[in-house]
Amino acid sequence: MDYHYVLPVVVAGRLLISYSLHSDALLHNHQLSSPPTSYSRLQEGVYLFKNAINPYSGGLFHHSPLLLSLFSTVIPLSSAISPALWTLCDTLGAHCMVSIWRARSKLESSRRDGLIAALYLLNPYILLSSLALSTSTFENALYLLSLSFASQGSSSQALLCLAILTHLSLPSALLAAPIVMLLISGPESYLASPKAFTGDARKATRLCAEYLVYALSLTMISTVISDGWTWVPKTWGASLLLPDLTPNPGLWWYFFTEMFDHFRPFFLVVFSAHLVIYVAPLCIKFQHDPLYVTFLLQGILATFKPYPTLADPGLFLSTIALFPETYPYLRHPIVTVLLHVHASLLLPLFHHLWLGQGSGNANFFYASTLVFGMANGAALIDCAWAGLRIAFGEKVPGHEVVQK
Amino acid sequence: MLLLFPSLTRCWLRLVPFLFLLCTLCVNYAQADSAHEDAARSFFADKRSAHTNNWAVLVCASRYWFNYRHMANALGMYRTVKRLGIPDSNIILMLPDDMACNARNSFPGSVYAASGRRLDLYGDNIEVDYRGYEVTVENFIRLLTGRMDNAVPRSKRLLTDARSNVFVYMTGHGGNEFLKFQDNEEISAFDIADAFEQMWQKKRYNELFFMIDTCQANTMYSKIYSPNILATGSSELDESSLSHENDNDIGVAVIDSYTHHVLQFMEGINKTSHASMQDFFNTYDYDKIRSHAGVRDDLFKRALSDTRVTNFFGGVAQVEILGPSPLDDVSDPTEQGSMSANRPAEAVLGDDSVAARAGSLSSPTHASGASPKDEYLGTENLWDDEGHEDEPAPARWGVLRAWTGVALLGALLGSVAVR
Repeated sequence: MDYHYVLPVVVAGRLLISYSLHSDALLHNHQLSSPPTSYSRLQEGVYLFKNAINPYSGGLFHHSPLLLSLFSTVIPLSSAISPALWTLCDTLGAHCMVSIWRARSKLESSRRDGLIAALYLLNPYILLSSLALSTSTFENALYLLSLSFASQGSSSQALLCLAILTHLSLPSALLAAPIVMLLISGPESYLASPKAFTGDARKATRLCAEYLVYALSLTMISTVISDGWTWVPKTWGASLLLPDLTPNPGLWWYFFTEMFDHFRPFFLVVFSAHLVIYVAPLCIKFQHDPLYVTFLLQGILATFKPYPTLADPGLFLSTIALFPETYPYLRHPIVTVLLHVHASLLLPLFHHLWLGQGSGNANFFYASTLVFGMANGAALIDCAWAGLRIAFGEKVPGHEVVQK
Repeated sequence: MLLLFPSLTRCWLRLVPFLFLLCTLCVNYAQADSAHEDAARSFFADKRSAHTNNWAVLVCASRYWFNYRHMANALGMYRTVKRLGIPDSNIILMLPDDMACNARNSFPGSVYAASGRRLDLYGDNIEVDYRGYEVTVENFIRLLTGRMDNAVPRSKRLLTDARSNVFVYMTGHGGNEFLKFQDNEEISAFDIADAFEQMWQKKRYNELFFMIDTCQANTMYSKIYSPNILATGSSELDESSLSHENDNDIGVAVIDSYTHHVLQFMEGINKTSHASMQDFFNTYDYDKIRSHAGVRDDLFKRALSDTRVTNFFGGVAQVEILGPSPLDDVSDPTEQGSMSANRPAEAVLGDDSVAARAGSLSSPTHASGASPKDEYLGTENLWDDEGHEDEPAPARWGVLRAWTGVALLGALLGSVAVR
């Protein structure tokens, strides 16, 4: 699978699909677009902005002012341009995946390049989200760009991409720690031979400070665009305060629909802190391979973030392709795959049963999101196990590796 | 005295400008206050009605198949009242509701009010609030007076206020000062009069129109003693109200004469109609109704020729569109003078207000052809298609900010890319 043949063919196929789609059904699909990533809300916000109404004064628009400025000036949102732009972002993401793989395996080109690109571009979760024109495509592309730059050692570019990603999706700020570690250590695989993390504390601090400087300057730019600070509670605040309980494949929305008001602040803190507690343990346990930390952490964020779409776990599943050394040690890949098949069938079915036909209720869809969460959790646990298991070496007959 | 105490004089003289300022402020404030009050008073001025919302209570007090026509009466009135704009939330419909699904009904699920069965009044879009055995005298009086158990839902309550015009329609079997409810009990004219008086005391209506179609109906309104009540009935004492026609396939009479006459008149009325109650009462004709329909207007303060039919039958409200400046700007006397020039526009609930304004047959002083800016001096005109001068500027600022943001972002990206 030669990369230089696969990529154009797949991209052409995707363009063909996206331009032949004439219905808006995918645009409003709750699995593919969530309130902070919805294309129709982006259109609404850009329209309001162009008509001198602050889009953040309402409760609908949760996109970053950076997207607002981009789409109201340089790139107009039109049905002719948007599919091409989204396909371009996905292509960029696929190219970054390949460059991460090449950096990790220290090869100029390999036979797996085409496979990796195809696994990203043709992953149905990612493909459908891109067809739905949800901005999670941008988030994926920025994440992969950041990782790609970090794998090549370009620290400033990596941190800038991460800063922009933070502006689009606040939970991604947690990826700063492993990416800084990645910039210091390098992307090569040390899963099989763990070593202690030797890093310059000063260099780490400098990188963190650089990331913060980029994030702050983007904040200032956003404030200039949006003429005030109203955007902060609507964009970052949306991730922390969960104002919009539109159904999505995530685990937050149902919990908070049945939450009594006086418990809400407590559980918002709990759910947000839940994301934070994974960073340190992963960074410590996998300190020999920061790229693996980033991979696992992105998977955790995809499962437990406030407004996920199918693109987030889709990215996690596609990036498994970067770690073929873990494949022999995965304990239940078939179960995970079947759980994902289950969930991907149940999610649209129960959504339709609940909101389309009206013969089901929210519990149906909630159950399917639980199955989806289980599928993601199974994948995460299996990858974490495999990443640790490699270090123990080949299977010795008559012996077994157990966790005490 | 001023010469004797020069220092005191100086003090007083210094106070004079402050006193003058105080006086002008007080006067201005009083003028502003009275300006607000004048505006409100002119809106509710004598000839126009002082109501802001409409309610209807439609009661069919008899059950059983052979009283089909009473339910058709009530449903016909329901349809008319809904068509003229009173929403379901403001209609209390009390029906025994045993006609449509009666075993004897050859057309199940339908109730017709005319032979030929062209219009199904039951349909699938009616809201019956009290049905079956809930139509009792006690519930009716509780409904009117508002003295209900806390558990009674909102849809079963008459949530009127002091500016509600209430239309009460009753039909069934009646006699001299009584009306039979469901062949079981009766309500007397005194009960109704007392219930209305309770409503008046509790400020539960602005004006009330009582219409009753039973035998000896006029006796039912003879005992009312509360103000602002207009009443009409279908027949005099010792006179029966007759049914209008039978349908040969349904097998019973489908509508009463009086109600048929009323509904026929109402078919010619729509939401923008200016027909007055006097016009309506002038159509009463013994030859058509076959009984002496009566009117009682001694308790009603307004002249019947000034009272519109839609004041009771429809949900037409008066709307006056003003801009923010005249009432707030008190220092400019010309602004105050312009308030009296504001002509109220007749707006219609549920209709496109622009269309209503363009096509309305409101008071002749309203110059519909003149530019709205001349009418509403200094007020913000909502239908002015000319762009205001300051409108492009905020939009321009927004685009400028967006471009600045994009430029800054590009600069940041560029500076990082070359590192």
